[in-house]
Amino acid sequence: MSLTDSFDYEAALAACARGERRALAQIYEREARYLLGVALRIVRERQSAEDVLHDAFIHIWQRARSFDAGRGAGRGWIYSVVRHAALNWARDHAREVPVEADAVAASLDVDALLAHHAGGADAHEVRADLGRLAGCLGQMEPARRECIVLAYLDGCSHGEIAQRTHQPLGTVKSWIQRGLRALRECMA
Amino acid sequence: MNPNDDAFPPPPDDAIDALAGEYVLGTLTREARSDVETRLAREPALRAAVQAWEARLHPLVALAEPQEPDPGLWRRIEASLPAQPQPQPQRPAGAMRTGGRAAGWWHNLALWRGLAGAGFMAAAVLAAVLVGRAPPTGPTTTQFLVVLVAPQDKSPGWVVQTAEGGRQLSLIPLGSVTVPGDRALQFWTKADDWGAPVSLGLVTPGQTLTVPLGQLPPMEPNQLFELTLEPSTGSPTGRPTGPIQFIGRAVRVL
Repeated sequence: MSLTDSFDYEAALAACARGERRALAQIYEREARYLLGVALRIVRERQSAEDVLHDAFIHIWQRARSFDAGRGAGRGWIYSVVRHAALNWARDHAREVPVEADAVAASLDVDALLAHHAGGADAHEVRADLGRLAGCLGQMEPARRECIVLAYLDGCSHGEIAQRTHQPLGTVKSWIQRGLRALRECMA
Repeated sequence: MNPNDDAFPPPPDDAIDALAGEYVLGTLTREARSDVETRLAREPALRAAVQAWEARLHPLVALAEPQEPDPGLWRRIEASLPAQPQPQPQRPAGAMRTGGRAAGWWHNLALWRGLAGAGFMAAAVLAAVLVGRAPPTGPTTTQFLVVLVAPQDKSPGWVVQTAEGGRQLSLIPLGSVTVPGDRALQFWTKADDWGAPVSLGLVTPGQTLTVPLGQLPPMEPNQLFELTLEPSTGSPTGRPTGPIQFIGRAVRVL
């Protein structure tokens, strides 16, 4: 891992906009395994997660032209495209694999994570965000924190979270609302 | 009334912010998601709120374990690419191929501008994520967040990871630290109900330290980890004697 290993996502997106396939391939080579990890946690079925990733990369290619290379945050944009595609897929399909039985192992390769957050022009901001988010999550009541993480990472609906945490639906909804408010204030 | 109140921007509209938060979090129904995606194209306040939530929560993607795609996936993507990206004049909303619904807000320039401009803590090195594992038979996988920070400026310096089903622990540096030649960094941990900290060994700056947990119980929430500055052969008393250089507690997130 190298902290100086940086990748210019905005330049890569600009190259995509010029029709350079090599740039999209570079984004894929660098991010596909992380993006598939994000999509698979939400979609919970490997073939469909790969389909989501496929469609998201086409979308990135087609929309790259609208991306301003000078503004940064290209990496966050790429992740959002994939995550929202996965979330829409999950809401369009009844996922048959409950999150409890998920075959996706949750072991985390920290070296890969650090490399993951070391690259890119937005690396400093992402790292700072991660530190702040960790601190704010740490201040939350564990039950509310779990609701937030289950929703973001596993794409759980209110109902799925209620089922998994054995809490009434109304309680889960109110915990999430208050949890989000608390996060917003903490990270302000 | 605080005379400084005017110095702050007005608070975001609570209803819009709540909607944006749940959209990014993912808890909205499909219908509500489509509604938000349509509104994003024409409501700057909603766009700004979504942008802020994307930035706040984005670091959580690091908790998803990487998955190697099928070797054929890239070829499949490449085969689907149009020869050149289509010019994208201003469109109110694009159509996402998946599901074919309006989902084009993310090509909006303003939405992502400024994500990189929030240059707080630019000097902070790194924060990190610790993952512990519940027994493989358990329905729930336990995940912890841990950041070891310098006590003075709270800058993150190290991360701890459990491996081998929680039987082994690694201390991983996020940057370089300098230690005087006659001193050493010593790694300690203590859970809330332990009588005293337990030494996990001496640390070489800039290098990962791997420690078999042996007789120690599994990690628990709020468990304390710290690095103290000790004589080069380690603390003579078996307890921390020097100043704390980095400190953090295990936070359970799942």
